[in-house]
Amino acid sequence: MRSLLRSLLNSIGIREVHEAANGTAALEVLREKSCDLVLSDLAMNPTDGIDFTREVRVSPRSANPFLPIIMITGHTERHKVEAARDAGVTEFIAKPITAQSLFARIAEIVERPRAFVRCETYFGPDRRRKALEDYAGPWRRHGDLRDLQVR
Amino acid sequence: MKKAQVIPPDAYPQMVSKSDALKMARALRAPETAARGARVIEDAAQTLRKGVHDYVRELEAALGDHRMTFEKAHEIRGFAETAGLRATGRIAGGLCRYFDEMQKLDAIPDAAVIALHVSAIVRAAHAKDEAGRMSDAVAKELAALVTHKLAETRTAATA
Repeated sequence: MRSLLRSLLNSIGIREVHEAANGTAALEVLREKSCDLVLSDLAMNPTDGIDFTREVRVSPRSANPFLPIIMITGHTERHKVEAARDAGVTEFIAKPITAQSLFARIAEIVERPRAFVRCETYFGPDRRRKALEDYAGPWRRHGDLRDLQVR
Repeated sequence: MKKAQVIPPDAYPQMVSKSDALKMARALRAPETAARGARVIEDAAQTLRKGVHDYVRELEAALGDHRMTFEKAHEIRGFAETAGLRATGRIAGGLCRYFDEMQKLDAIPDAAVIALHVSAIVRAAHAKDEAGRMSDAVAKELAALVTHKLAETRTAATA
């Protein structure tokens, strides 16, 4: 899979690609090289994609906590996807992977970069993708009150 | 509780500048880029197929060990379609669904259902007309079997 991803990235002109066999090795690469984007599997040993993402986002040793992370996963089960999202994953691609789905996610990241949210329990891309009109949860963000409109 | 801080995209370093981002996104969404990518996948299909066949061998060897069988089926499900083995991927996907749902129901998977899927995956992965009608029909029948077995287990759990 890594070799296929490398070829796909090469085909869109991304020439400098670093590979790592698991999350621990990837963290080493990130400490040594400056990277713009990470494509990660969810199921890896000993450090899986969720722990890897958490480490990138919140570790004091992280070189770039804002690094875009695309999680490629066969695990489309809701709770696993939610755990990865809550660790700070930027985008998801469900296997089987297609060139179109990979390129579309990269386009999304460069064209519409997400705001980041920092709170006591989370640091990562804004998880509110949709503005829900019937949102009933608490308004906890700086600026939420300012943005509220009375109709 | 302290309020959350929102950091807008302009406040942290981006991969590319705004003007380059638009150009890049347009290029990434262009049909010719997708076609180039599809060719890359086609070129890799033979190697990927070999990888799927390796997983299929490991799946056969894992029979009896549910955790390992699930893991191997998961790998096959993830790779098979990209390797051009659509029916194999669908059958492996059905087996994964069966394992997932049975785990949620806290029930022990039926060994016969697993064995049937594994046998079908082995045959489909090596069939000459993998994407043919026969493989498709087998995938559909097995999906129906999984649905039936899950309904049976749910009924037994609520009885």
